[in-house]
This record gives sequence, structure tokens and C-alpha cells, in this order.
Amino acid sequence: MAETASKRILVIDDASLVRRYYRDALERAGFEVDEALNGVEALEKLLAEPADLLIVDVNMPQMDGITFLRSLRRQAPPIASIPALVISTEAGPHDRRAARTAGANFYLVKPVAQDTLVQHVSIMCGLSA
Amino acid sequence: MPLVRKPSSQAPAAAPLALGEGTSEQRWSAVRAAADRPDGLALLADALSRESDPRVREAIFTGLARLATPESAALVVPYLRSDDANLRTGAVDALRAMPQACRPHLPTLLADGDADVRLLSCELARGLPDEEANRLLCDLLERETERNVCAAAIEVLAEIGRPEAVPSLVRCGTRFAGDPFMIFSLKVATERIAAPARDRR
Amino acid sequence: MNEVDPVSQEELRAICEFLYRRTGMLFGEAKRYYVQRRISDRMNALGIAPFRTYFAYLRSDADGEVEKFVNAFTVNETYFYREDHQLRCLSSDLLAERVRAKRRGEALRIWSVPCATGEEPYSIAIWLLENWPEVDVQDIEIIGSDIDTQCTAAAAEGEYGARALMRLSPQLVEKYFVPAGKDRWRVVPELRQSVQFSSANITKASETRQHGLFDVIFCRNVLIYFDDASRRVAAENLFEALAPGGFICLGHTESMSRISPLFEVRRFPDAIVYQRPLIGGNGAGGKGGHSNG
Repeated sequence: MAETASKRILVIDDASLVRRYYRDALERAGFEVDEALNGVEALEKLLAEPADLLIVDVNMPQMDGITFLRSLRRQAPPIASIPALVISTEAGPHDRRAARTAGANFYLVKPVAQDTLVQHVSIMCGLSA
Repeated sequence: MPLVRKPSSQAPAAAPLALGEGTSEQRWSAVRAAADRPDGLALLADALSRESDPRVREAIFTGLARLATPESAALVVPYLRSDDANLRTGAVDALRAMPQACRPHLPTLLADGDADVRLLSCELARGLPDEEANRLLCDLLERETERNVCAAAIEVLAEIGRPEAVPSLVRCGTRFAGDPFMIFSLKVATERIAAPARDRR
Repeated sequence: MNEVDPVSQEELRAICEFLYRRTGMLFGEAKRYYVQRRISDRMNALGIAPFRTYFAYLRSDADGEVEKFVNAFTVNETYFYREDHQLRCLSSDLLAERVRAKRRGEALRIWSVPCATGEEPYSIAIWLLENWPEVDVQDIEIIGSDIDTQCTAAAAEGEYGARALMRLSPQLVEKYFVPAGKDRWRVVPELRQSVQFSSANITKASETRQHGLFDVIFCRNVLIYFDDASRRVAAENLFEALAPGGFICLGHTESMSRISPLFEVRRFPDAIVYQRPLIGGNGAGGKGGHSNG
């Protein structure tokens, strides 16, 4: 708990129930969680306050997850290098490849169980799972 | 105080070129002007079929959203099937900007053979009057087999859901009894819908 | 005293999300208290309870309820030096970047739209005279435009009451205004000549285009009132009205994310602003991702 508390996770997904679900799991595991409804809002939030890890959906209004990742990786450090976990309903190879090329560090397909989520987030934050 | 200056006269923008020609800057100007012309729909349809620059395509979508007819919406619908996330997003945003024009398409879209189209269409139902959206989304929940499509419908019902939607949500829950996210979503959605309702004061 | 139905965090989040989707206004945790108060005020005024019933009423936008709700966060705020952090950003960062991008002698053009009764464009002029060292060597053009010609006529007159001047120091008032009757002040003639006023509807390309290209546009608290289609058109008009690399400043609760993917978001020490990319739009890099598959 002590080490997770210092880690800030930004959840970027337009579905409020998905964000609630992730927030619920991550806060119980001790992480600090913030939310954004699309890529542009996420960039705005990150420019105001960086995060330790991003959880990114692919299909979102205004700026989709792939375009967001490209834009993210073009920003100045430290924002450009924040690790990103993509969690999408899109299971096809096209989206996986697009996400990887755009700068995703890991790709999961929905549904993702809460303990699986916490496990991946912990590992990606450099904590023991 | 030396801020005072004479107004500058800037030349007005050049007249729009024919669509599909010239630089992306020129094509952008041309498609932006198209929606004001009587043959706008045909011009935009043609431009959309050929355009590859994302910014010009956005302007075409805006033009179609301004026309806001079932015909202009029909031109955007195929892009819901795109492999390109950027295009799918552009299409949903454009359709969302013309809720009335989408209305006749929604029953078909929510029954589309492509699960991705059904999923994206749930979000469009949010723009309908509550009663109609509830009916369409509950009908979908009763027959839908794809979990992610159900999740999208539940997401919208969590905001606009009426008490009549609760039985459909409950039945949906029995089909996804082993799925923690679905159980979670259905619980939150039904809680929100069934929040204690007192009478108008 | 009115009893107020408690609104849960969950409900507050839901209404903030609706307002964001509908208007582009972003209410962070810090502003939630004001949203909550406003909900209670509106529920009391309308005699509607519980919250869920009010939320349905708001969503249906019956009797222009969305605008009534949103108004509480924006109206009666037209005073000099409003949101001065953006003015600070203008003089410390934005103009320097625009000067570097321009040819020698080329004018810097700033647009305040909508400008209402002129407080904003005059504030920009005063701020630059007071705070931007280069004000004497650069050719600066400030234009204020509004759809309401009564407003722009009043702006050109430049006469204000005490409330509009509340944020200005007595020294600034003395320097840039002359008394004009009881509790009235008028902008000095030189400053009035420094700002031009015109009529413009930002949803009409034919009207925005007449104004030429700008380096910085202040467009605060108007896009929030538009529906999605009008907002898209306005964003495209503003994009066209900006020189490549030019900046746009929105109101403090507004987020560009509900407005357009055309712009890049830029962070400066005093403000987050949006920029027309130097080449193409935001999605222009989009094709690279598919080329190596």
C-alpha cells in the first residue's frame, strides 16, 4: 500500500462505468486515480500534472486512443515517456499494431478482471505484483 | 502611448476551387464552402470518397453535420466500420452532431451485423429523447450476445435509464453472471436508475 | 430556509460529465462545490426534487435549462483584467513566440471575440502597455468583435462603471481613464483608437474571414453555448482565422477537447492554450502509424 499510494494513474476512457470499475480496483489497491474522457482532456490534465501510468481506451470521442498516444509521445519529457497500458474492446491485429506503433507499452483486450488490472498496473509502475 | 495604429486591410480568402483538387489547404476551403451550395450533399459525398487528409475529412464531416439530413448521416455511417480508430471516432462525432438526422438510422444500426457498429451506435442513442433511447437500448439488451455491445448500452442507460429499463438490465445480468465488469456495471446502473425518488415538492 | 436534497459524489460526477459532453466545460474536483450549489439553487428555483428528476429536466433542456445552468458560471464577469493569468501568458510567452515566427515589421494581430462591451480588448491593450517591454517596437493590432452591434457600439464609446474597473489599480484607472460623471469612467482617446471594433458571428465563415489572420485569439465562454454542429463550424472558422502557429485562449472552465481535434494543446507557466499547428492539423501525423504494418 505504501508504495502504491505514491503512484498516480490516469484512466482515459469515455465510458463512466469502465472508469468507475478501474478506479474502484486501483483505489482499493492504494493507487491515486484520476480520469479523462478522451485524449485531448488527458493531454490537458497531463500538462497540468503528470502521471505515473496511463490506462488508455482506443475508441473515444474527439481524440481516439491511438491518436492520443502519438500526440503524447511527441510531448516534452517527462510526459512523453509515461508508460501506457491500452485496454480496448478491439481485439483485431490492426488495432494492436497501431497501438504499439503509436507508443503503447502493453495491450489488453476487454474484459479485464480487476485483479488482472491491478497486477499489470503494479508491474508497469515498477512495483512487485 | 504608441499602441495606436491604422487598420490593415487583409485580402479576403480566395474563392473555393473545385473539390478533390489542389493542396490540402485548397481542398479544405472547397469542402467548407460546399455545405452552403444547393448541390452540397453530392459534392461532399464525392469529396468524402476520395479524401485522405484527416483534417479535410473532418471538415467534410462538419459539412455533412451542418446539412443534418438522414441522407448526409447515411454518408457518414459506413465509416463506423473503418479499421482506423481516427476515422471511426470522426464518424461517431459527426453523427453525434446531427442527432435528429441519425434518428431514422438508429434501429438499423443497433441491429447491424457488425458488433463494432452496434457498439458505437449505443452512444448515438444518447442523443435521442429518453423514452425512445430507453426502448431501443432495452430491445438491444434483450437480444444482444456481444458483451462489449451490452456494456456500451448499459453505459448509456446508467445516465438516461428509466425505471422501465431495470428488468432488461436484470435479465442481461443473468447472461453475464461470470463477468465481474458486467456485474459491476449493472449494479451501478440499476442503483442510479433506482435511486430513491421522492415526489416533486 | 430551503432544505436541500443531498447530492452524492456519484450524482455530481454524472452531472459534471453531462455538462462536459454537452458544453465542453470541465469542472474538476475543486469546482464541484460550485456545481453542487448551483444544482441546489436550480432545484429550489424550479421546485424539482429529487436530483434524478432535475437531471432528467436538465438533459431534456426544457425551457433552455442548460443555458440557465451554465450562465451561473460565466455571466456578470465582464470586467477589466479578468483571467489575468492568460494576459500574463500573452506577454511572457505567446507574443515572443509569434514575433520569432514573423517577418520584420509584420503586424502582430490579436482578436477578442466575442468582445461584449470591450473590457477584454481594452484589457489586452492596457496589459501590453504595462507589461510587455516590446510594446513600443512592435506593430500591434487589437480587434474586438461581437455578434451584437449594440455591444460593439458601447465598446467603441468605452464608458464603464466602477464594477468593471474593480480589478484595476487606482494608478491604472488614472492613467487610462477619465471621469465621466458619477461612478463612470471613459477610456482615454488614445487607448480607444488602439482597439478597433467590428461585428462578427464566429459561426459564419463569411464574417470571420473578413477579419484576416490573427496571432492570438481570445474566445472565452461562447463555444459552451453552441450545439455540436455549430461548435465544429466555429472551431474551423477560428482555425482559419489563426496564422499557422497562432494561439487561441478559451475561458477557464472550457476544454478544447469538446471543441476540436484541429488544435494542439500547449502548456506555458501561466496558462494552457491551444495552437494551430505549423503544418496541417493534429491528425496529419495519422498516416505514419499504418505505414509499417
